[in-house]
Amino acid sequence: MFFHNFKYAVKTLVKNKALVFWTFAFPIILGSLFTLAFSDLENGEKLQIINIAIVENSELDKNKSLKTAFDTLSIANDEKQIFSTKYVDKETAETLLNNNEIIGFLELTETEPKISVKSNGIEQTVFKNAVEEINAASKIINDLAEQEIKTQIENGNFEINYEKIYQDAAEKVQTEEATFIDNSSEHLSYTMIEFYTLIAMACLYGGMLGAVAVNQNLANMSSKGKRVSVSPAHKATLILSSALAGYLVQTIGLIILFIYTIFVLGANYGDNLPLIILLAFAGSFAGLTFGIAIATVIKANDNIKTGIVVAVTMTGCFFAGMMGPQIKYFIDQTAPIVNAINPANLITDGFYALYYYDTPNRYLGNLVGLLAMSLVFITISYFSLRRQKYDSL
Amino acid sequence: MKNIIEVKNLVKTYKNLVAVDNLSFSVKEGEILGLLGPNGSGKSTTINCLLSLLKYDKGTIKIFGKEMKPDSYDIKAKIGVVFQDVAVFDELTVYENIDYFCGLYIKDKVTRKQYIEDAISLVGLDDFRNFYPKKLSGGLLRRLNIACGIAHKPKLVFLDEPTVAVDPQSRNNILDGIKKLRDDGATIIYTTHYMEEVEILCDRIIILDKGKIIASGTADELKKLAGPKQKVVIGPTLNDVFLELTGKELRD
Repeated sequence: MFFHNFKYAVKTLVKNKALVFWTFAFPIILGSLFTLAFSDLENGEKLQIINIAIVENSELDKNKSLKTAFDTLSIANDEKQIFSTKYVDKETAETLLNNNEIIGFLELTETEPKISVKSNGIEQTVFKNAVEEINAASKIINDLAEQEIKTQIENGNFEINYEKIYQDAAEKVQTEEATFIDNSSEHLSYTMIEFYTLIAMACLYGGMLGAVAVNQNLANMSSKGKRVSVSPAHKATLILSSALAGYLVQTIGLIILFIYTIFVLGANYGDNLPLIILLAFAGSFAGLTFGIAIATVIKANDNIKTGIVVAVTMTGCFFAGMMGPQIKYFIDQTAPIVNAINPANLITDGFYALYYYDTPNRYLGNLVGLLAMSLVFITISYFSLRRQKYDSL
Repeated sequence: MKNIIEVKNLVKTYKNLVAVDNLSFSVKEGEILGLLGPNGSGKSTTINCLLSLLKYDKGTIKIFGKEMKPDSYDIKAKIGVVFQDVAVFDELTVYENIDYFCGLYIKDKVTRKQYIEDAISLVGLDDFRNFYPKKLSGGLLRRLNIACGIAHKPKLVFLDEPTVAVDPQSRNNILDGIKKLRDDGATIIYTTHYMEEVEILCDRIIILDKGKIIASGTADELKKLAGPKQKVVIGPTLNDVFLELTGKELRD
């Protein structure tokens, strides 16, 4: 009975044109459009190093960590190079800016760093973000470096290599916390960020498969469900085999999406591909159970349920940064609870975490969050499915 | 002959509406029982209660001598149902649809294959076995709906308005199929609005209105219930009897 229902559930799902479009074709079409839209932008960005200047003054001498950080990001021909940095006096910096030889310059003061730019754009934003992040990390780096210098003096070493100490401290901070260097890596390019939300969307579209597959077994939801319910087939067997069929079809869809993004669109998931796939499968399970919960709780036909899954998924993906990571950042800052219960965000955030953090805590947190969410959906479905007779049909 | 179905004092309410009001009846083995009634008279609700799909407030339902419950899988295995709504998968062919629903009852593939062929032949879908439902006409779709409900050769068949919106040829084919089912020994409960179908098919008829049995008997017995006016003119048809008993007021 299990395999009989499983076989036909798979058959009906893969032959359902609307489902195939949303779960198989739509993510691939959207991925292709993203690639077309962002590839030129990125190619341009990769080649273009941002020219900046930093004003040499006494404050800069005090803030060695900041200088070290900008030096690290300005090493010519290095894969991490973002800037070409000139150390000049303020007057020269202003002249360079006026002559458009640099996009902006940084002047350290006793209070806050001062950034001067002529216009606003992507390069200016990158420069501002880098300064903000470096400045935030600088304090930690300075503390670490000062502590190390103090230790070396206490140990009787008076030939101190200050530059190396600051570099070591900077590296330590970079490997333990979010850093601007990781932001610039190819794994977090515009296209890759879009791919991550695309995968999240494809995962949650599994909800449609779950909703449609289970709807066909419920007497109060469809005429086919009535017919199935009067048969001697056990309800649990039918629901489980249908859900498994939905998960199988969803998994095939995800594998096709991964293959397409890697081999056709040239996505580079780096060394984290296995973890990305693991999180995608967990996200897919959350999507499937969400769909089953919708199928069991809301009394409506397949089309309405599919519409609900699409609407919730797209809204979730929008908040998770599908239309730009700024939206995710904005939601994280202003309404963190929204993204905490947004499965699309848990998936994309888990992907980002793989590149932002060396420790797996945040990634695992997102993974556990998705599984917990799945458990909630399963519980809701269980209580709804427990009914053997209905008050009305 | 033994009773296949025994219903005693069945009551089903929807909030303040009494859909089935203290209904009692029985169906004998091999009998075709016609269940007649205007829209909202409680026919489908009664069938859904009998099939243990709907909760009911009072009463007992026994099928094949046992109390009918949602987990009465041994009873369910002997029942076939053709619902009013066409319940087939658009994504499966005629053959696959019948195979799917038959497979919920019959595990053995060889037996199932033979049963499917018999069902296809019974409803006259031999030339359409590889067609998808969307390519079928209304009549053919109804025939597929029936084949899906009876392919496993059930001993008890519920047919809920199986000939709604079909052309005379398809209706004729469907009625012939139902007669064959009866000839093979199946007990049938048949609901319809078409009086001539009841007259042709049913051994006994129950007329329901507002959840109550207002008349029951053979077609001839019911005709005697009609008033003298119809008798004088052309002799009463079952349609006359039905309208006299249930009134001419339009129903939903």
